[in-house]
Amino acid sequence: MKRQRLVPLLLLLPFLFLLAVFLLGLCSGLVQSFGIVPPLGLTEPTLRYYQELFCSDELWRSLGYSLYLSVVSSVLAVIGGVLLCSALVLSGKAKGRNKMVGMLQLPIMLPHVVVALFAMNLLSQSGLLARLLYALGMISGQESFPDLLFDQAGVGIILSYLWKEIPFVAFFVVTLMAAVNENLGEAARNLGASPIQAFFRVTLPLCMPAIKNAFLIVLAFSFGAYELPFLLGPTTPKALPVAAYLEYISPDLKNRPRAMAMNSIVLFISLGMAWLYYCLFQQKMIRLQGGKSDEE
Amino acid sequence: MKSKLSLCCKGIVWLAMFGVLLPLIVLLIWCFTERWAWPELVPQVFSLRGLREVLGSQALMILHSSILLSATAALIAVVVGLMTARAIVFYQFPGQKLLLFASMLPLIVPTTVFGMGIHLLLIRVGLSDTVPGVILVHVICALPYTVSIMTDSTRAIGKKLEEQARVLGAGSLRAFWSVSMPALMPAIFSALAMAYITSFSQYFLTLLIGGGNVRTFTVIMVPYLQNGDRTLAAGYTTLFLLITVLVFLVFRKIVQRFYPCLEQNRE
Repeated sequence: MKRQRLVPLLLLLPFLFLLAVFLLGLCSGLVQSFGIVPPLGLTEPTLRYYQELFCSDELWRSLGYSLYLSVVSSVLAVIGGVLLCSALVLSGKAKGRNKMVGMLQLPIMLPHVVVALFAMNLLSQSGLLARLLYALGMISGQESFPDLLFDQAGVGIILSYLWKEIPFVAFFVVTLMAAVNENLGEAARNLGASPIQAFFRVTLPLCMPAIKNAFLIVLAFSFGAYELPFLLGPTTPKALPVAAYLEYISPDLKNRPRAMAMNSIVLFISLGMAWLYYCLFQQKMIRLQGGKSDEE
Repeated sequence: MKSKLSLCCKGIVWLAMFGVLLPLIVLLIWCFTERWAWPELVPQVFSLRGLREVLGSQALMILHSSILLSATAALIAVVVGLMTARAIVFYQFPGQKLLLFASMLPLIVPTTVFGMGIHLLLIRVGLSDTVPGVILVHVICALPYTVSIMTDSTRAIGKKLEEQARVLGAGSLRAFWSVSMPALMPAIFSALAMAYITSFSQYFLTLLIGGGNVRTFTVIMVPYLQNGDRTLAAGYTTLFLLITVLVFLVFRKIVQRFYPCLEQNRE
């Protein structure tokens, strides 16, 4: 009996250690955001930094920009991803090992830094797109090509996210969709539904839980990501994680609690998204008992 | 009607293919480009400067250490994931569900939040600016993937065969090693791959925790991106892409060689 309790504990030990390190990191950030940073001689807990932040224009603009980037890119990624996934399933390419399908998974593997390089090659004012438009006579010069990369609309950032996230959403959903389409979709077609009807009335609704999950994952990720807004973003407004890191490395060490307060705001919004994910996850378990979805 | 639909679907797949391949083709061209003046559609001067730099000793050293670092982090993350999976699947204890949810947290909480929070503590224990410190944070980032992949596969394989081996006289470690381990191999491979990619792609954490001492591919890439030397940036990227693909092919070959029957089953 004793062994029964000891073995799982031993097995869990390394995981618990790593989890503890992770949680310690989050707590340390939270504590510092309340102005307690002993190495800097700050020991008095205070809400000052939050108050300052909430009163400043900069925070709201950064927060708004981060939310704008993540919501727009995630909505478009889900639309594009579901479209691609449906195309793969309906054209029969989702089954077995298809070389082309393997190729489409490549963007999921590439670091964001590399995607930023691609964006610079293609979308900058001297990029291939601008050259093409010039060759076609649609723009008169380098300057008349809209600055897609460092502008406030964040077109470059959003397109870069899409390049990675459309395949991610498609492959997150494809296993489930292929299975549903083969079984229940087939049944609907046998009962007289047209392929389009069967797809929109049966297959797509049954895949909704997986699609929602994929949406929340890309939403949470792009909201908190640093690389792309840092490399391709405008000077103002800065995405919230970028602004927080700037405060963090500023020579004035008293800015650290401010950075931590910004981080805590990012943390709570991300956790809110995670909580939603958790609720949907439970819901999916109930709805799809028996059917297994691929979550990797 | 039906052919129209399937034509449309094929079109979408081809369009996606084009979208994925276009940046890669442009990248390859940039590798060999010395001068590509506006508004020409093809470069004027080609050179091997990028290639020479990339195959120089310093770049190869970074490549070597970068792969080693990511492989170590991936291996640790998979072993921890496997242990955690066995505890969660084969034993009952309170808080199991919460634990599984907690294992997903590093995926949800942005790396900037975790990195800046843990930085001070790592400085205090002397792990910041060191390779072990960077490996530690990379392992944490890879855990959500390895735990979830290993939990799913451990659950799918179950305990029955291992118990058979125990009944036939094998010790518990031996039963695991010669019965469950081979069956888990494909899952271990995909978990390793995910963990390796996660570690390899990490820019922010490597920069912050490594403090410039630990130089990986993404860390040395960024300055080239910022000062606009696209030839070198393209050279590095191409080399690392090739290496990554190679690492995966080697991995897969190893799995196929030692467990040929499993690979066939999977297909």
